[in-house]
Amino acid sequence: MRISYNWLQRYINVNDSVENLAQKLTSVGLEVESVDYLGKKFEGFVVAEVIDVQKHPNADRLRMCKVNVGSKDGPLQIVCGAPNVEIGQKVIVGLIGAIVPHNQHDPTGKPFTLIKATIRGVDSFGMICSAKELGISEDSSGIKVLDPNAKVGTALADYLGVNDVAFELGITPNRPDCLCHIGVARDVAAIYKKKYSFPQYKLTENKKTSITKIATVKIENVIDCPRYTARVIQNVTVKESPDWLKQLLMTAGLRPINNIVDATNFVMLEYGQPLHAFDYENLAKHTIVVKNASAGEQFTTLDGKTHQLKGTELMICDGKKPVAIAGVMGGLNSEISENTKTVLLEAAYFSPTSVRKTAKRLGINSDASYRFERGIDPNITAEASARAASLIAEITGGEVVQGIIDLYPKKIVPKKITLKRSRVNSILGSDISSKEIKNILSSLEIKSAPRKEKNSFVCVVPTSRPDIEQEIDLIEEVARIYGYDNIENKTSSEVMFSKPDKDEVRINSIRQWCVANGLNEVLTNSLIDRSTAKMFSENLVTVKNPLSVDLEILRPSLLATMLQTIAYNYNHGATRLHVFEIGREFSISTEKGTYLKGYIEKNVLGICLSGDANQLSWSEKQRNLDLFDIKGLILSLLKSIGLDNSDFIYYNAPSSLTEMTIGVEINNTYVGFIGRCKPELAKSFKIEKEVFYAELNLDQIVKFDTVKKFKEFSKYPTVIRDVAFVVSKTISVGEIEKVIRSVGGEEITSVTLFDLFEGKSLGEGNKSVAYSISINSAEKTLTDGKIESIIKSIVNAVVTKFNANLRSI
Amino acid sequence: MLEKKISDLQAEVEKLLPTISSMDDLEKFRIEFLSRSGKLASLYEELKTVPNDQKPLFGQKINGVKKTLEAQFEMIRSAINATATKQKNEIDISLPGRMRPKGTHHPITQTMEEMKEIFVSMGFGIEYGPEIEDDYHNFEALNFAPNHPARDMQDTFFIKDDVVLRTHTTPVQIRVMKSRPLPVRVIMPGRVYRNEAVSARANYFFHQVDGLYVDKHVSFADLKGTLVTFAKNFYGSDIKYRFRPSYFPFTEPSLEMDITCFLCKGKGCRICKQSGWLEVLGAGMVHPNVLRNCGHDPEKVSGYAFGMGADRISILRYGIDDIRIFFDNDIRFLNQF
Ligand SMILES: [Zn+2]
Repeated sequence: MRISYNWLQRYINVNDSVENLAQKLTSVGLEVESVDYLGKKFEGFVVAEVIDVQKHPNADRLRMCKVNVGSKDGPLQIVCGAPNVEIGQKVIVGLIGAIVPHNQHDPTGKPFTLIKATIRGVDSFGMICSAKELGISEDSSGIKVLDPNAKVGTALADYLGVNDVAFELGITPNRPDCLCHIGVARDVAAIYKKKYSFPQYKLTENKKTSITKIATVKIENVIDCPRYTARVIQNVTVKESPDWLKQLLMTAGLRPINNIVDATNFVMLEYGQPLHAFDYENLAKHTIVVKNASAGEQFTTLDGKTHQLKGTELMICDGKKPVAIAGVMGGLNSEISENTKTVLLEAAYFSPTSVRKTAKRLGINSDASYRFERGIDPNITAEASARAASLIAEITGGEVVQGIIDLYPKKIVPKKITLKRSRVNSILGSDISSKEIKNILSSLEIKSAPRKEKNSFVCVVPTSRPDIEQEIDLIEEVARIYGYDNIENKTSSEVMFSKPDKDEVRINSIRQWCVANGLNEVLTNSLIDRSTAKMFSENLVTVKNPLSVDLEILRPSLLATMLQTIAYNYNHGATRLHVFEIGREFSISTEKGTYLKGYIEKNVLGICLSGDANQLSWSEKQRNLDLFDIKGLILSLLKSIGLDNSDFIYYNAPSSLTEMTIGVEINNTYVGFIGRCKPELAKSFKIEKEVFYAELNLDQIVKFDTVKKFKEFSKYPTVIRDVAFVVSKTISVGEIEKVIRSVGGEEITSVTLFDLFEGKSLGEGNKSVAYSISINSAEKTLTDGKIESIIKSIVNAVVTKFNANLRSI
Repeated sequence: MLEKKISDLQAEVEKLLPTISSMDDLEKFRIEFLSRSGKLASLYEELKTVPNDQKPLFGQKINGVKKTLEAQFEMIRSAINATATKQKNEIDISLPGRMRPKGTHHPITQTMEEMKEIFVSMGFGIEYGPEIEDDYHNFEALNFAPNHPARDMQDTFFIKDDVVLRTHTTPVQIRVMKSRPLPVRVIMPGRVYRNEAVSARANYFFHQVDGLYVDKHVSFADLKGTLVTFAKNFYGSDIKYRFRPSYFPFTEPSLEMDITCFLCKGKGCRICKQSGWLEVLGAGMVHPNVLRNCGHDPEKVSGYAFGMGADRISILRYGIDDIRIFFDNDIRFLNQF
């Protein structure tokens, strides 16, 4: 909402600087988003009179002028090249230091600053300007000659009437009362504890004709139209509006159209009451009927667009046809034209819901619908109509027909709300006196009368404030005018100590671990396209009204969107991608739901490794990542968060997305998987390289206890023995390790594979595996004999079980 | 004769010495001159053949040559040894260290983690809720009028007629107030959605941190104090701030908090749209209708709520122009944080 400072002054004498006013408006909730100083670009330009014109001694085309700029220092000498300069003209002079908005001699017209110049030996102290140079019209044929009555010395901005300031206010949806100048004046009055006044005007009615004789109004839908008023103005001349009116409208951001439309717009921006002017002669039977549209009917609005109506829209009709969509936009068929002689002026109150629905459905957002939707004052209607009629008569030369048709079957009355001082102060944490509360309310035209109960009032809220419905709304009014800054910033309230719960702590430590171990955290989209989503799941959650088909499905797997990220980075030159995300996966379910029945939301950790294993370095040979990078990563992660004594890996887990898949189990509960993305999956994201993926269900992970307990370690020495076997490649190292552990018994404290190779010397289809075995007893030092026997039984078992050959002990 | 041989040998040695640079060369030199079958030894052999009276003279001469030769040999040997040792010990310490790969937090989680930390230290717990939310929690219980624009298809993603992608984390407030005994004092971080065309300034999802405190005697003054404490911890103790009355359906009185633009320090710039202020959060007293919807008597308890956008704040903190860069997840971007 743009508010003109000059316009505001019509209702209240602010008498404060623009900056202070802006700051105060913001402090009561009318946020000033910007301040536009309209006169600023004309600073340094004044109205002047040419008092002497002489030929320039050294140039035929130039003249030496003397101009009176109204300065007590006397006239200025200015060299002027314009052909039309003459003695006695009133002109616009730019003084030294003024910035000329448009440089006629510069191809791009860049502004320039006037300096004292010597032109062909003659001093020049300023410039007589053309209209083009000032940016007020395109005329550059000569200097701009003003009206002979222009007063010498007047600042140009004042002369042009543009010495105004426009405030761009961000009006919150609860304050429709501030969508007009009087509404803002009301808050300004409350801020400065001053009085504001309604506009003074005189409505002269033509007693010879009564409106009831020449027009009729009927409301068929009183729910959506509680009030409708009409006036008629005859013998109007439609033309351009006077300058003052055009100027104010432009400052407030509206384009002037003609005097009648401008007058209705002016009154709307004055009182907040939208008005509509019909060409009376185009109204069949000179009748207005307010009723719903017929289903299937077509209607063309002022802007030339044709709308298909459903029948729910409230329409203004004449004796035959619709002429306007109530509260939204007028029709082309009854528009004011140059030939209009008689005007029927509508001022009405339409229900916010009805206007909102219609405007929304038809996709129209007009100044009128904007105000009706939010709620105007139903009791300002007749006043605004009278004001508009008077103004139309004044600027069109027309005559207002006697009387008003005012159908208002059920008067909307001010609300009465009880307010207790104790509530005000307990909610605000303040100590505001009853007297101050009363004063603040009264400054907002909310009358308050004491109740029997002490420090308690009955407040009568004007109908201009539909947002005030209960006590808390009055408390807000008190707070806003009392000043948020005058309420203490209380920090002494009792502090409840808390520590984040253990789920939060565990997820945080997972995140920290991933970062500490060189992974980049990513945050990916939650919505993807259906065909991608289908690769991951059948139980998809679909958005009914997506932005586009690419963003239709809530991701069923983090892998889907992480692969998009991997692809994006490969396309941008990355070669090493080690990333993780903590986010949600969504699916539908027929049974239960995480929060809402039927919807599963799972918190998941996803890790993707792809490309180079190492950063480029002089000391490490580069290699491609493989499965064991991600397997090791997950095992290390689980150990780091204390989930280390579970047997949590099983192989060949079924997965539609990955191959070489390893299931992760903790205490026999499935918590996730590790694997390599199937090449066809990666390819569908245009990724050529291998992508290794691990996913852990964090909702499960947080459930496991990790109470740490000290376990006594052996006081006796540990013996480490290495054994190497040659076995068939088909035998997994995991199986061998299992056998070693089970045969060795509890004296085996660790079994570590430390060498693995294949080679011709081992024979076709064979591999060499070497284990480092730690042997130790909690009770005693093991004798050499005992150790030998343990090793021997291990060797025997492995050799027999796997048909292995012992390479070395 | 012998005299000539001695001077020849001296000349030869003089010539050879400077060419010796390695132990191998030195060894060759030793064999040629100093060994038992070397040239010096043969001089001694010849000495036997000179007349006796001349023997002491020549003997002295040869001895002199031998001494010089041996001294020179030692000198060269220690020089070569020194070079070798030096070569063995010298390491180019300008070689890069073996770097651990750098991991990074996403800037938005970083912002949210910092916010969480401050509120936790102020006695707030942390709560999460669903991203797929029903109309009741997302709108109705939060006092949105049935025809509120936010409930339109144009602003909200719908899963079903009464199921939406939550448009804020505020519905978690309802869940917490309904399921927990008072007092409740929690923050509610998470991802939220708006049906909004993606541009440099807006994305269809973003991240919010909401806060709630409901108890007996919670006041607007407590809210202001909490917000100031947070802002000073999060943005710096020297920031200037202001509170403006504002409007949200679920709070009343409502406020928005601005802090002085950290780019221009309040002078006005592109980021703050020349105003010198940056809006950083919205807040207010929990609306009595909301308390009633959650089964609380607004005459007996009161509460405050606040909410802030982590994406927007991250944009301002890191001087980012285009919000979309957060979700491209370009490694070159991520590595900057
Ligand atoms: Zn700034």
